[in-house]
Amino acid sequence: MMASVFSLDAVYVLTGVVLFIFAWMTFADRTNPRRVGSGLFWLTLGIIFAFGSLMPYWLTGLLVLFMVALDGAGRVSRGAYQSDQASQAEHARRLGNRIFVPVLAIPIVTFAFALTFRWLGMDANRGALVGLGFGGLAAMLACLKLTGGGARALMNEGRRLNEAMGAVNILPQLLASLGVIFTAAGVGNLIAQGIQQIIPANNLFLLVLANCLGMALFTIVMGNSFAAFPVIATGVLVPLIIKPFGVNPAMAAIITLTAGSSGTLMTPMAANFNIVPAALLNMRDQYGVIKFQLPFALTIWSFHVLLLWLLIKVS
Amino acid sequence: MHAQDLLKLIGVVIVVVGIALRLRTTLVVVVAALATGLVAGLPLFSSEGFFQHLPLLTKPGQTGIINTLGRAFADNRLMTLFIITLPAIGLSERYGLQEQAANLIRKIRVATVGRLQIVYQLFRVLHGLMGIRLNGHPSFVRPLIFPMSVGAAQASGSVPRAVAIGSITTDNSLATARGTDPIEKIKAANAAAENYGNFYGQNLSPVQAGILLVFGVMQGLGFTVGVWDLVWYTVPVVAASIILAIIQFSWLDRSLGKAVEVKQ
Repeated sequence: MMASVFSLDAVYVLTGVVLFIFAWMTFADRTNPRRVGSGLFWLTLGIIFAFGSLMPYWLTGLLVLFMVALDGAGRVSRGAYQSDQASQAEHARRLGNRIFVPVLAIPIVTFAFALTFRWLGMDANRGALVGLGFGGLAAMLACLKLTGGGARALMNEGRRLNEAMGAVNILPQLLASLGVIFTAAGVGNLIAQGIQQIIPANNLFLLVLANCLGMALFTIVMGNSFAAFPVIATGVLVPLIIKPFGVNPAMAAIITLTAGSSGTLMTPMAANFNIVPAALLNMRDQYGVIKFQLPFALTIWSFHVLLLWLLIKVS
Repeated sequence: MHAQDLLKLIGVVIVVVGIALRLRTTLVVVVAALATGLVAGLPLFSSEGFFQHLPLLTKPGQTGIINTLGRAFADNRLMTLFIITLPAIGLSERYGLQEQAANLIRKIRVATVGRLQIVYQLFRVLHGLMGIRLNGHPSFVRPLIFPMSVGAAQASGSVPRAVAIGSITTDNSLATARGTDPIEKIKAANAAAENYGNFYGQNLSPVQAGILLVFGVMQGLGFTVGVWDLVWYTVPVVAASIILAIIQFSWLDRSLGKAVEVKQ
């Protein structure tokens, strides 16, 4: 019983319910020029969240196509929300630092769950995700008690933030799916083969360069260095660098992984890190975060090439 | 490599062209997935179950593209879990969360936008060290770090005090007004500090997913590497990420400062 209440599935159902409420309010929102399409979009996402572990995969797949079709046809939009700056400043004076309590409850509950899961010998990362769900719930309750705003206002404000982000919300999940299909089609092996054909096997610096470049490029395509690492390690790092040159495998492997992180900073395919935050902060330029990160990413990527090369040279 | 193989890269081409043309990203991604799968000869649906008697849509023994799409989408719901935090953050904002965060930081004399980003990045590196991995964009950046940064910018005069913080994140029309350009830079810096701290700090603990992935992959390739060795060799990269960030965020402070001088 405890196990099923404090499970990832319970948190998914909870999120599904929140999305159902958003959808229901959107259907009734006359300020939204596309309220039916928008409502259907959030309703469908809610169904996938609540029942995704039970539904057959083909059905979930078709529902995903339906959501993308709605967005592709321009049927997803947002309502108009008023904000009252004067009353916000006045509430800030009245509540003072107590206003931080609900928002801080989210990371605190997240940590508490992660630590408890580890203490019980379970997966701490899963604990953090379950904790995020229950932290969100605890924050809602704390917020209602503190502010005296009603449940309706609570959900309407949540809907305001959700609609401001819009269909970008589901982009990380779509991109993860694209990565799985790339892998199934063998795109990674193709890139590793390409590198093997181009690079002369006796020049250490060029091999290190190709290894780090391959890792960054493949991460840019997949949006995820964890997906790129097995491909580059198998196709380039181990056969062309570690084995022939007798390199310390731990050193070469971890530096190759973070060479990929430099790629993550540069790609819109890592939507959860680069595109969703731009939407979350209401930036004018969808690619504003990537543009800011670009000089940093290129510099630290070059540092990876030099570091790996030097550490192989001196050992 | 055969031409048939190269054709599999069609998905990559579709994504690059689609993003360059600024087409609707969700549509581009799904079209790329379908095209890649079809070119690789995968069927639309799996041969078992609901569609098993439809000859054109399935192939015996192969998993369908739509099934893979549905499965991966369901498996990755954790990426969109932050939606559950939005009601509390939204209502707190309505009751002055962002104003209060800005008030707080304005009282700290030494606080600048750049210094705040560095402190936040170090805070996220500390999470990595403790073996905790989380996405800080919804839980820290939007509700706290962004309004604090605006508060720091207002204290130094690079953003006018009259700009109400709540309106910047709620209302896009205000962001297009003249003189709010620093706000866009601040937003980008907030997200970047989160990513820098998260990406490079997370390998500092042997229980982290990245370390475990490298350990597993290398073991599969015949090398048993020590997890603490992996952590040790990531230290120079973490140090470099912090130094580079200090340089970039100091430049940000300087460019925000210049904006003030021009105005005066």
